[in-house]
Amino acid sequence: MAYDTSVTPDAVADLSAREIRRSVMGRWGLRAGVVIGWMAFIGVWYVFSGAVLGTQQLPPPHTVAAEVWQVVTGDGFGTTLWASLFRVIVGCTMALSASIVLGMVIAYSAWWRGLLGILTRFFVSIPTVALAILALILFGASGLGPMLTAALVATPYVMSSVAQGLTRVDRRLIVMSESFGRTRSQIITGVLLPSSVLAVIGGARQAFALAWRITLLTEVFASSDGVGFQIKRSFESYDVRGLLAWTALFIGLMFIFENFVFRQLERRAFGGAHVSLATAESTR
Amino acid sequence: MATILIENLTKVYPPTPTYPQQVQALGGVSMSVTGNVFVAVLGPSGSGKTTLLNIVAGVEEPTAGAVRVVQDGVPAQVGYVFQEPRLLPWRSVLDNMLYVQNRKSDRSKREAEFYLSMVGLSDVAHLYPAQLSAGMQQRVGIARAFLVNPDVLLMDEPFSHMDALTGRSLRDYLQRIWAHTRKTALFVTHDVGEAVELADRILMLRPGGVVFDDIPVNLPRPRRPDDAAVHAVETEVLRRFDSMEAAVRFGDQRN
Amino acid sequence: MSYATDLPTTSEFGQVPGTPQGSPAEAVHWTRKPWFVNALAVAILLVVWQYLHSVNGRVPSIDEVVSFLGVELGGGSHGGVSRGEFWGPLSISLQRYAIGLAIGIPVGGLLGLLIGGSRRFRSVLNDTVLVLLVLPSVVWAFAASLWFGIGSTAPVVAVVLTAVPFMAVNLSSGIRGLDPGLALMSDAFRVPRLRRATHLLVGGALSNAVTGVRLAFMTSWNSLLIVEWFGTASGVGWRAKHWYDAQRFEGFVAWILLFVVFITLLDWLVLRRLEHRSTRWQQQPTLTFAEGEIA
Ligand SMILES: Nc1ncnc2c1ncn2[C@@H]1O[C@H](COP(=O)(O)OP(=O)(O)OP(=O)(O)O)[C@@H](O)[C@H]1O
Ligand SMILES: [Mg+2]
Repeated sequence: MAYDTSVTPDAVADLSAREIRRSVMGRWGLRAGVVIGWMAFIGVWYVFSGAVLGTQQLPPPHTVAAEVWQVVTGDGFGTTLWASLFRVIVGCTMALSASIVLGMVIAYSAWWRGLLGILTRFFVSIPTVALAILALILFGASGLGPMLTAALVATPYVMSSVAQGLTRVDRRLIVMSESFGRTRSQIITGVLLPSSVLAVIGGARQAFALAWRITLLTEVFASSDGVGFQIKRSFESYDVRGLLAWTALFIGLMFIFENFVFRQLERRAFGGAHVSLATAESTR
Repeated sequence: MATILIENLTKVYPPTPTYPQQVQALGGVSMSVTGNVFVAVLGPSGSGKTTLLNIVAGVEEPTAGAVRVVQDGVPAQVGYVFQEPRLLPWRSVLDNMLYVQNRKSDRSKREAEFYLSMVGLSDVAHLYPAQLSAGMQQRVGIARAFLVNPDVLLMDEPFSHMDALTGRSLRDYLQRIWAHTRKTALFVTHDVGEAVELADRILMLRPGGVVFDDIPVNLPRPRRPDDAAVHAVETEVLRRFDSMEAAVRFGDQRN
Repeated sequence: MSYATDLPTTSEFGQVPGTPQGSPAEAVHWTRKPWFVNALAVAILLVVWQYLHSVNGRVPSIDEVVSFLGVELGGGSHGGVSRGEFWGPLSISLQRYAIGLAIGIPVGGLLGLLIGGSRRFRSVLNDTVLVLLVLPSVVWAFAASLWFGIGSTAPVVAVVLTAVPFMAVNLSSGIRGLDPGLALMSDAFRVPRLRRATHLLVGGALSNAVTGVRLAFMTSWNSLLIVEWFGTASGVGWRAKHWYDAQRFEGFVAWILLFVVFITLLDWLVLRRLEHRSTRWQQQPTLTFAEGEIA
């Protein structure tokens, strides 16, 4: 041999220990960054509350936190939450079922894609506030309005992401199946559905986030209960504390669903492999 | 004259959440290349070939060891053909060429067009990369490396993405222009025939990134893949791989 | 037609850019012609509308809305009650919209660059931007009108606060989605910084930036309307509310139609064209309304 290529295992271990330290420190640095970010957020809030807008206009974080606690422990919290959650779940389910069907239709038929494309573009450009008020005109304050509006608004978006998931299916697999003389329905159940689980879960996630926002907005106009109604009541009685407390609760709820419900679903669908990737991504 | 000097080069990737073990990509590689030499780096998949080229190109930091790539005492201009084409998808083929062209002049565009015609791609200069086949994209990558008038050529399996016929004619072409320009070249491959056909010297890597052999190839050029002499060297290279594998499998398991 | 070739090859209901259009000799059945599909869509909408009118008396009929629009646009008299007003409210709202976007888009873009370009900035700022993104715009609308009263400040602030996270999130995800191999390639060829910024960063993230701009335009129009509805005494949102309060639903629906026409024209004539241009190089068919949320 022309060169001495031997390395002692100890030397490598020593060198790599250094690299590991560097990368771990990098990771802790990023975690510290998250903490700094939240501290800055709260700090800016205090500054605005104390020096810019006044505590009456913008209550400081600890006051809002106390109000959150009061709302959560007070009566009627469960009823209010359930009123909204029920609408979200029903609206979301309607949107998702419609989207799966329509998504397939537009993914595989150019004609329907054209027609539904125009119709959905029309719906997408109606400001949601207008839809909320139309729901009020049509259904009054019955609570049916928020549900249907949520379904109607979420459907175009979810439909297009389901359709996109379906069109990303490897065409070569379809060509392969056709060349082996598989029927249309065999191709759908054997190739398309398995490869579009991801798109459907993504669609559900999107439907949920959208349904929450629309339900909230529609409840402001066309409901006499639910989180949106509480937010409006706080607004009408100039109660910024209540407004912010309910908003914080809303954000917390979204966070819980995103991190527990949908992560779990994905874990089921991907047998864990995907999850470790997701965590790798989030620690980076 | 260009020189590549590599001393005890070691690269260890730290564990990640996805793969909780450290990976030794290079385990103390040393070598020096001076002047108009064509060196092939031959090794199986995962033996650290790409890592070696990245460190020589200065785009990755080694864990330990040192690399110097100089031309007459100053840092050398490197032309790198990557394992994947690595073209900007949102720029046309021609604009991709111009992207790496650092010495701009009114001749830049004509030079770029010349090197494209060299790899047979004059007609597609205005298409986007996604409109080319994988082999065509790789040829753009080759033209791009020559465009910067490099002192040192680094090539990472440049022919592995294309059909054998195109690969053969490009290999032929590479031999001829190399004979003409004689740039210092580091050519990574896992194809024994390719290494013997092109190289003056074959550096053999085994998994773990350890050089276990270094074979000179003193055959006259131009060489044909079907020459008997080329065949003889190929057989010798393969024999040494086999004995290395046997040694790793049955005895010396350290790496 | 084979099943595989029936899959869409179009980019958002249109032709994939860069591919030749089908040969003109190829006859298209009239039911597949765009004019027919468009007309069918409009017909479906009108039929649904008329049906809603017939089952629910509070929904105005088509001709009521059309004649109301005529009076409102022409500045005529609404049955002696009040005079039509269109250009006044519109110009006030457009001013607020333009000022808000002129602040929100650059600020959001800068945030997006920081978050996308540096892991440190990302770790610090990411959660704040996500909270802003998740906040429903009705909360901004309420908070802004409680803080700033009935003037133009509240709507402008609401537009800014809606535009910023959309811009930031889209741009940063575009930058983070760039292939690290391309940066490596640029390193290897010693590409100077300026060219790298213009060709690699701008070229790669341009389509996301344009999408961010488009979503910022769409969503902040909605926020503007909400603030004007609840918290101001001028602008198009206020005008719609005026007719709603007067129980003149044909007026309310007429204004909704105007909102839709405005945002659709903006979208089709400007924003989608920009988006189309910036994604010309992509060969993959896309079918979405872009990743984004509304309300
Ligand atoms: N960024 C990285 N992070 C962690 N490990 C890596 C990284 N890049 C390479 N490796 C590991 O280093 C080893 C060598 O990789 P390298 O890409 O250099 O191999 P190679 O010889 O080029 O293989 P191939 O012929 O397949 O291209 C592999 O085990 C690989 O998993
Ligand atoms: Mg490699």
